[in-house]
Amino acid sequence: MSAIITLSLLAILVLYLGLFKARRALLPVSLLGLVATVVLYGVQWGKTAEPLYSGMVLFDHFAVVFSVVCVILTILVLLLSKDYFDKSSPHVAEYYALLLFSLTGAVLVVSFHNLAMLFIGIEIMSVALYILAGIRKKDFASNEAALKYFLMGAYSTGFLLFGIALLYGASGSFDLAAIKEYVVSNPQGISPLFYAGILLLIVSLAFKLGAAPFHFWTPDVYDGSPILITIFMATVVKTAAIAGFLRLFYFCFIPLQDFWVPVLLVMTIITLFVGNLTAIVQQSVKRMLAYSSISHAGYLLFAIVAIGATSANSVLFYVTAYSLSTIIGFGSLILVKRATGSEHFEAFNGLAKKNPYLSLAIAIAMLSLAGIPLTAGFVGKFMMFSGVLADYQVLLVVLAVINAAMGIFYYFRVIVAMYFKPLDRDAIVVSGPYRVVFFLAALITLLLGVYPAWLTGLI
Amino acid sequence: MITLTHFLIVGACLFSIGLYAVMARRNAIMVLVGIELMINAAVLNLVAFGRYDSEHYGGQAFALFAIVLAAASVAVALAIILNVYRHYKTINPEDINHLKD
Amino acid sequence: MESELLSTPQDFVPILIQLIVAAGFGVGTIIITHLIGPKVRTENKLGAFESGVEVIGNARQPFSIKYFIVAILFVIFDIEVIFMYPWAVNFREFGLSGLIEMFVFMGLLLLGFIYIIKRKALEWD
Repeated sequence: MSAIITLSLLAILVLYLGLFKARRALLPVSLLGLVATVVLYGVQWGKTAEPLYSGMVLFDHFAVVFSVVCVILTILVLLLSKDYFDKSSPHVAEYYALLLFSLTGAVLVVSFHNLAMLFIGIEIMSVALYILAGIRKKDFASNEAALKYFLMGAYSTGFLLFGIALLYGASGSFDLAAIKEYVVSNPQGISPLFYAGILLLIVSLAFKLGAAPFHFWTPDVYDGSPILITIFMATVVKTAAIAGFLRLFYFCFIPLQDFWVPVLLVMTIITLFVGNLTAIVQQSVKRMLAYSSISHAGYLLFAIVAIGATSANSVLFYVTAYSLSTIIGFGSLILVKRATGSEHFEAFNGLAKKNPYLSLAIAIAMLSLAGIPLTAGFVGKFMMFSGVLADYQVLLVVLAVINAAMGIFYYFRVIVAMYFKPLDRDAIVVSGPYRVVFFLAALITLLLGVYPAWLTGLI
Repeated sequence: MITLTHFLIVGACLFSIGLYAVMARRNAIMVLVGIELMINAAVLNLVAFGRYDSEHYGGQAFALFAIVLAAASVAVALAIILNVYRHYKTINPEDINHLKD
Repeated sequence: MESELLSTPQDFVPILIQLIVAAGFGVGTIIITHLIGPKVRTENKLGAFESGVEVIGNARQPFSIKYFIVAILFVIFDIEVIFMYPWAVNFREFGLSGLIEMFVFMGLLLLGFIYIIKRKALEWD
């Protein structure tokens, strides 16, 4: 709990630092605070977890690990933001504060033990992001992204709230333990309200996760928002959404598997095909990554379709691999766009000659996203597929392999552009923080690909 | 007799009206109103169910949080809509479509 | 379903009465003033009243964005009072810890308020 308090106070502190014109202190203070949060989580590790504050939050291993992943991803995003925001507005402190507030919401979403906390966490996370998506006030695309994100986000909040109300009506409590008790003790007499509630929650969480058929906002919002905010949405928010999804279903709804697994199965297949088929035809790398993030939401849903004791580990591994590669992908896009003004595949032409290290990092990220062996992405996909195979969902795995092949096609377009399409161009200047982030992300991607055991036994 | 079912029916009607207002998408403000209707339908349900939870009053407490968070997000929404209007000179979501494939 | 939890239509009679009284007062006063009030129709009487200042232009025109910010900020801070009602009802049972928790909550709100003042969001020009 101390970690969540630290995070929210940190956000307020950053806001006030901005008031008192301490611009230089903003980034170091934010980073220090985030590192302190990670340390506080580390101290909590291994202790027996008790629900805190009348059962509102529970810091079990699941919550601690996913929170740390969210915080570390935010650290990487903040490192990339070193000089990104200074160009667009004099009020930089608000960006940092909003990112930190959003992170606080994400951390609540992964550690809730009461549906009230799920709702509040999702709202804190989303409301901060609505503003961040539209933070470039003079930019058409940014405004449009904010409007679309808000309309769809608030819409899904309506579903979430109604779903929670129905679950409460059936079970008489918001507490996860009490809801589980209700499900386990009345195997036959579960109220139809409860089933309706589960469906509404699936709809709303699929909205947040960006899974089809509730994905239609994703490409426009990812495309219109400033790239840095897109990175945050595609990594931290997705991590929090899938972790919250899994936590809720793993805690409460496993006995009702026969009811909701078919629904999720259909959604997963649609998500995979929609994401991959549309990603193939994109001309802009940003939109390609946005659509590919939809397909990754599909792979993440595998863990919930084959829900069980290993689901948490596969989600953790997959989401880590995906997020690290996404940070490299979008981060390099910031640099390329700054240099060439374009987000198209052609903007990457001939990059390998002038920026060999940057190109190597991008190549590793793309290979990992495509799921090529020796990268973390491969192990993540492997864990997902084997989890589903253990459940005898052979058809799903076959379809997923077809989709993975489609994924290889469009990820390789970036690599081909960098290495095999010669173009006389100037070298891109990669500043210090970017080097650090790319190096770390690429290194971890490779290390996890070779030694996956580091991460697979955590939860 | 007014039973729980009556409250649930009113709640479901409100929710559906809200859903329609969002789907029709004529005007961003109308969409906002629709979203508010959906949230208030849920709040009504929460309070109605809360009657059976006389130990903790969980439903009522949750309803308060829902109201406050809805107000906070509406504040943000109005600011966003205002800013969009300044650029696009319209708040019809159908016309705000610079971003597409 | 326990019988004490069922509401009967009679339970809603007070609300109905209040509705009727509220609507009736509004409608009634309008009708009565029309019926018994003196009828003076001059230009000043029919024009919009702006505290004695000359009327300038139409009232239905775009207004300054400042009003919007103040209104929105008011709504946000106003709605937080909602949390104080249940707290006030159970004030005695919460004891000292409840008081401290409410002070923490108010303190955080106050931080937000100071931020708004410092950012000059409430200044008109």
